[in-house]
Amino acid sequence: MTTEKVVLITGAAGQWGTRLAKRLVVEDGLGVVALDDQPPSPGLAGLDYLQADFQDPLIGDLLATEAVHTVCHLAFRPSVARSEEAYAHNVQGTARFLAACLAAGVRHVVLMSSTAVYGAHADNPVLLQESHPLRGSRRQGTNRDRLEIEAFVNGFYRQHPEMLVTVLRLANIVGPTADTPMTRYLRSPAGLTLMGFNPLLQLIHEQDVAAALAQAVLAEKGGIYNVAAEPALPLKRLLALAGTLPVPVFHPLAYLNNSIQEQMVFEPDSLRYRWIADTEKMQTELGFFPEKSAEEAVQALRAAKGEPLPAGGYRPDGSRQSANDHSYAMPLDEIMAHRQKARERETTTAAG
Amino acid sequence: MSEMNEPEVTVTDVRCAATTRAGTQCKNNAQPGSPYCHMHQTLVEPAGSNGQPEVPEATEPSPPAEDTREELAEELDDLIAELREASPEFTPPPFSPQDIIATLKKSIRHMPPPMQMDILYRMREAVRVDNFDIEAWRGTWFLMNYWNYFQEKAQQSPAGQQAMGALAPYWQKLQGAINEDLLDIDTWKGLWFMVSYSVQYQVDILKRRATGDYYTDEWGLDWEFLDAVRPLLSFFYKYYWRVSTNGMAHIPDAGRAMLVMNHSGQLPFDAAMVLTAVLLEHPSQRLVRHLYGDFVPGLPFLSSAIEKIGGTLAREENGVRLLEQEELVGVFPEGYKGISKLFKDRYRLARFGRGGFVQMALRTQAPIIPAAIVGAEEIYVAIHQSRSLARMAGLPFFSISLRFPWLGLLGVVPLPTRWTIDFGEPIPTDEYGPQAADDPLLVSQMTDQVRNVVQEMIHARLAQRRSPFW
Repeated sequence: MTTEKVVLITGAAGQWGTRLAKRLVVEDGLGVVALDDQPPSPGLAGLDYLQADFQDPLIGDLLATEAVHTVCHLAFRPSVARSEEAYAHNVQGTARFLAACLAAGVRHVVLMSSTAVYGAHADNPVLLQESHPLRGSRRQGTNRDRLEIEAFVNGFYRQHPEMLVTVLRLANIVGPTADTPMTRYLRSPAGLTLMGFNPLLQLIHEQDVAAALAQAVLAEKGGIYNVAAEPALPLKRLLALAGTLPVPVFHPLAYLNNSIQEQMVFEPDSLRYRWIADTEKMQTELGFFPEKSAEEAVQALRAAKGEPLPAGGYRPDGSRQSANDHSYAMPLDEIMAHRQKARERETTTAAG
Repeated sequence: MSEMNEPEVTVTDVRCAATTRAGTQCKNNAQPGSPYCHMHQTLVEPAGSNGQPEVPEATEPSPPAEDTREELAEELDDLIAELREASPEFTPPPFSPQDIIATLKKSIRHMPPPMQMDILYRMREAVRVDNFDIEAWRGTWFLMNYWNYFQEKAQQSPAGQQAMGALAPYWQKLQGAINEDLLDIDTWKGLWFMVSYSVQYQVDILKRRATGDYYTDEWGLDWEFLDAVRPLLSFFYKYYWRVSTNGMAHIPDAGRAMLVMNHSGQLPFDAAMVLTAVLLEHPSQRLVRHLYGDFVPGLPFLSSAIEKIGGTLAREENGVRLLEQEELVGVFPEGYKGISKLFKDRYRLARFGRGGFVQMALRTQAPIIPAAIVGAEEIYVAIHQSRSLARMAGLPFFSISLRFPWLGLLGVVPLPTRWTIDFGEPIPTDEYGPQAADDPLLVSQMTDQVRNVVQEMIHARLAQRRSPFW
């Protein structure tokens, strides 16, 4: 029991937490603790599940008593409109949580980001390396929060080199059951594009997202890694593969009209300029190779296009990633007392 | 015609099918079992051939040399003259593009499948190599009519071949011609055929592309798109601007190199023509990967088209990456200052920027090949640059020319000047080492050196030129 490396996953009831927990629990030598303020999702049955909030003031004590080695911090609330509530949860919550991790002696923290933090710009190089300045748009809440977290983490791991921090910048996630902006865009019968623009876009299959997170946990390599599948697909080819009808819009209209932007899911620049991340570091240093190509990911999505998505996936309004916007978190002191008792009982039965 | 009454006609009565160096048909009789005489048998026939008229395999034809084309055309003329003589009662109908397609569609069913495949293959190939030679088409038209006529005659009579009498040798020869010469790329050329069959071909491509079944590389290069625009590019190259290219030998057959050129003409036609020149005339048909300015990605249609034919943004990491992939990179160091040049400033190079192209070349030790494009600077007579209109249209510059915007779209049609592209002696960069890219003195010296070479090449070409138009 003590030789196990304990991995704590926050946001475990969300779509990425569930997938990662299922993947990690079968690994040898890993003890997986799932944490979320929501009731466990169906996929998490049988796991060590704590129904608590990662922002609980006692979280540091929990991390210390459980001797958590690695934290996968996946609790994140996406939002299209910039929301103060989501900002407090995403940015300030992460900052406090990282400080608690440091104080509790956590060795390794894995965070999930997006290649959208680079931003789509006319002067982007053909491949964006991890060292490229982050010039992402701050108009949408999700990306604003990601940029803030990245800025915080950038300072944090230079000040505290004793704690490894891994940031995975993921490309557009698609797959049969994933619920992301890109899957919403591709699942609709028609997708708005900008007339005369056909930028390349990068994708990653939903299974590979969990695999990349698991690889980050297992490899224990700090740093920032772009994660994307080969090849980058031109937008029109992507829509053709997904069976989505491209509806071109004259581009100045898309910039001026807010209702068109809402329909587009993406910001106009993202469908105009190139934002392709270099995945060489992912392959050479992280040692991660996506199983599915970009084409396979789209084909998987297309095959499942008619089927409804599981509830509690992507919620663009900044609310909790669950079916209803409520916290079901139990106080951590109760949970810790309960677990302490259970542990004592276990040691006495083992001794007796 | 002495064999008129003989029941059997042997192949030895046929004249040799080969063409002499003078361009006329060989006067010797052919050897038994071969379409060629004793002289040409060894010269023309490949070793191991049994000499029988053979059905050609669907192999890739290599683009034939110019003199071979002429020889074949003359040979066809001779053959037509003889056919006229041999069957005076038959006159082929006049040439018409519609009829030739109909005739081919009718008779292609009688051909063996490999031959059909070969015809289709060659036609598709013709779309790429694009020959617009109507004369050769007329020849093909006559031959096809005779071919059908003989075939009908052979089928009418119960004795088949025998009834054809004196026509039999020609029938055989014609079969040979259909099998070999007629199926050659040189004879199967012509605009109308190509249009008819290429439409079907393009429709197939479009259908397939509509399902997303096509590929681009990491830069966005799409070879199918390039193939689709290649006839248009070569039309402009061969017939509109009648580009003559010199010094192609300076471009290496493989490996990294950087072309540095003058930029002009308001629209990047000069870049397209340099790409076409190297694609059509270089022995290894290399693709020039042009680097464009950072105002291009914001332009609709143009940006995606340029990306599909291999262009990419002019950034040092992009250029270095392309050169490290052993590509041939094309740069216009004048940038938009060059392309927006006024007519009065033509052939005077604008400033060469900060020498980023030299840094790319030094870092990758790629040779710099200076090139001068003469003719492109006169395709529009730009008299003024309007800053306010450029700002309104969201463009980096807005040129007022003698015809634009007064004549609307008509003002966008470039003038059909005559162009010359000169590729100069490569300037080596490998003697300095990759660290030299960080030496500002060397970089600025080399920038000036390349600029002077290009300017001198332009002046030398201008001195030889009689007129912008011919």
